[in-house]
Amino acid sequence: MMPATRLCPAALVALALMLPLPSPGADPPVEQGVAAFQHGRYSEARRLLQEALKSDPHDEHARAFLALTDAATGHCRDAGPALADRFQHSASPDLARLAGLALVQCLVTEGETAAAVPLVEQLQAKYPDDADALYLAARVHMKAFNDATRRMFEKTPSSYRVNQLSAEIFETQNKFAEAAAEYRKAIAKNPQALNLHFRLGRAILLQSHGPESLAPARKEFEAELALNAEDAAAEFQIGQILNSEAKPEEALPYFQKALALSPDFAEAALAAGRIRVQAKQFAGAIPLLEHVVALQPANEPAHYSLMIAYRNSGQMDKARTEQQVLQKLQHPPEGEFTDFLKRLGEKAPDK
Amino acid sequence: MRFVAAFLAVALCAAAPPGPDFRDIGMEAGLTASFPNGGERTKEYIIETTGSGVAFLDYDNDGYPDIFVLSGNGGTNRMYHNDRHGHFSDVTAALGLTSSGWSEGVCAGDYDNDGYTDLFVTAWGQNHLYRNVSGKRFEDVTAKAHLAQDRVRYNTGCAFLDYDGDGHLDLFVANYLKFDFATTPKAGSNPYCFYRNMAVNCGPRGLPFETNLLYHNRGDGTFEDVSERSGITRAEGHYSLAVLAQDVNDDGLPDIYVVGDQTAATLFINQGNGTFSEEAVIRGLAFDENGRELSGMGLASADYDGDGLLDIFRSDFSDERSLLYRNTGGGQFDDVTQAAGLAHNTRFVNWGCAFLDFENSGWKGLVIVNGHVFPEVDRQHIDIHSRDRGQLYRNTGKGAFEDISEQAGPALLVPHSARGLAIGDIDNDGTLEILANNQNEPPSLWKQSRRAPGHWLLLTLAGSRSNRSAIGARVVVTAGGRSQVDEVRSGGSYLSQNDLRLHFGLGAAERADSIAVRWPSGANSVLKDVAADRMVTINEP
Repeated sequence: MMPATRLCPAALVALALMLPLPSPGADPPVEQGVAAFQHGRYSEARRLLQEALKSDPHDEHARAFLALTDAATGHCRDAGPALADRFQHSASPDLARLAGLALVQCLVTEGETAAAVPLVEQLQAKYPDDADALYLAARVHMKAFNDATRRMFEKTPSSYRVNQLSAEIFETQNKFAEAAAEYRKAIAKNPQALNLHFRLGRAILLQSHGPESLAPARKEFEAELALNAEDAAAEFQIGQILNSEAKPEEALPYFQKALALSPDFAEAALAAGRIRVQAKQFAGAIPLLEHVVALQPANEPAHYSLMIAYRNSGQMDKARTEQQVLQKLQHPPEGEFTDFLKRLGEKAPDK
Repeated sequence: MRFVAAFLAVALCAAAPPGPDFRDIGMEAGLTASFPNGGERTKEYIIETTGSGVAFLDYDNDGYPDIFVLSGNGGTNRMYHNDRHGHFSDVTAALGLTSSGWSEGVCAGDYDNDGYTDLFVTAWGQNHLYRNVSGKRFEDVTAKAHLAQDRVRYNTGCAFLDYDGDGHLDLFVANYLKFDFATTPKAGSNPYCFYRNMAVNCGPRGLPFETNLLYHNRGDGTFEDVSERSGITRAEGHYSLAVLAQDVNDDGLPDIYVVGDQTAATLFINQGNGTFSEEAVIRGLAFDENGRELSGMGLASADYDGDGLLDIFRSDFSDERSLLYRNTGGGQFDDVTQAAGLAHNTRFVNWGCAFLDFENSGWKGLVIVNGHVFPEVDRQHIDIHSRDRGQLYRNTGKGAFEDISEQAGPALLVPHSARGLAIGDIDNDGTLEILANNQNEPPSLWKQSRRAPGHWLLLTLAGSRSNRSAIGARVVVTAGGRSQVDEVRSGGSYLSQNDLRLHFGLGAAERADSIAVRWPSGANSVLKDVAADRMVTINEP
């Protein structure tokens, strides 16, 4: 029986090609079957692998590659139990990984995204640095997102959530004017919904590179605070706007309020610390900045601000220590990516 | 009482001087030639994005600044003689300055102390040192001066400075990166060849770094490459563009500040023994307030807040703030961009920039010209444009600036893809003009339709023991109860050269109480009780 949907065999072959072949001395039909699979000769692979299993029903490679062959030829339902078994129980980590990846692909192809999600989690837990596992995870979650979005647009087309989600999607595409328009529609439908004014204010700021956006954005953050008086992020944004308008004395109380509401709000502590540094209030500034680097040891802006604060307060030794921390953060150890960067400029254009 | 208050308000309004009104007089002044510089709708290579500079210099010592404009490939650099009365004549060929290739930057200084200002032109390819022969012609002495380079380099900003105090101008040359047409990747071919999801020319990230150059003037007409020995080449990993050579830490020795594209700026502090120490980070000049490496394009320096210390402005890329660093003393700086009201406009790619007192108020404002490196940005229909208007900020005198770009006359509102900018007083009337190099267009020459209202002084300094151009001389003018400081500089802005004369607005003061000069040689001189509204020549004692 041919299933309605077929798995892309090329994807599986590409994965399987990276797998080591059965060890030398393995049963020749197994070796030949795997080779046939890797070359896309699936009928031959199936025959050889079935033959191998007749002589040794427990052969790891034969069982795994027969299931992979089934999956590659569109027989995902037949392959599923075997793939699941190999994923959970194979003694070979490589075979288990491959079976897991194939199983997830099968489930997505069959439209069983929900069933694929926990498997993706297991794959990521077992192989946290595996590019294929991460790629599949991204695919599965994207599919789940798309499915849920489509259902929302179908079932509740006039809901403010549709506008909100549209706005958020526009934001990811850097289409901030369109995002702002959708947020406005959402607010019109549900004026009491939390976070819409905040997101609108942020979209207004992001769509413009000039001062004309500051006043309308501030209005939205204030509207958010009218709905939720304890929104630390809205307090912070108003502080940022005032700071940008060269009004640090007016900005500082907003950052302080944001910090009072959320004591570990690193950005607010950093902003407040900087204003105090500029006002030469080092005794107030330095604890704030030290708090930020304690919260976020890799926060480069905080280390830089702390360096300046130490320097301006005459603590040059501490300033130089912060400079060294910053330098380490900014210049990670030489590695593959750095080598890649170095090579880029030396590549011939046709390569 | 109400009547009196209303009357006072009207009287105050009537007394307020009109703001600046800049008009572009470039075409009527004879600056009609267009200067090619890469593609207009798309730029395939980074070399098309960075050029070029402009200069004001008085090459024939007639007391009026002439104009020099650099060209990209397909044109020639051009010298325009100031015929006075607002007109310039193209004297390029007669002076022997016809050129080809990709010219980038220009700096001026009398390297041979013969009394005539010489020119150095940087290029992708080969730089040129033009010796000014008695104001009659320029001789290309590059090879003779040992300044020929053994390979193709992407030279950008430059500045003459006397780093060792021997009275002979040395030369610093910034280098951007290693570029050649054959091996540079094509648009879209790697992650560094995209901008806002569009395939664009590649770089600077992904292209190999290059180091900067320092040449020592031997005093016999030749230079020696001391880049290694001086410690300049130890600063690696920078895409260097603009250069500001001045005494940053106020120790009497010229230092070198260099901004780079997408990399930290470098500050070479002169150790007084022929070597330099790179100290940009700890002195607060490497990054923005977040410790981020921005894309530094142009540089300008002035004492914007009147505390007697020279502050620094750097122009940056779009989506970045151009930064104002306040000098807090001892060569330490704080990023005060937000507090100074300069954090608003991030839509522009800023290039040439200069502090100038366009109202002669005694407070230097700020002018910036703009233009994007990716003409393709126009396809996005956002508020970032390929060609853009200029910006003019008025100094409020209270440590902040006010954006008056849209109220400062029509010249600033015309969009260009501008790069180099220089300031000078073409008619010696005490009101400064602004010159800008526009890619693939004639240059702009912005002149105010009326004179700046305040009083002024225009100072020409002539060194004797010091270098003849007095580059590095520190001047303090005291007038009206305030002191203003400035320094004679070679290079600066974006790959450009301002008029070497120093301009001071004096506001309502009709006299300067004193003009004090600290010469590069260490000598000091003071002029007392100097009448305003005139040019003054000060010779080193």
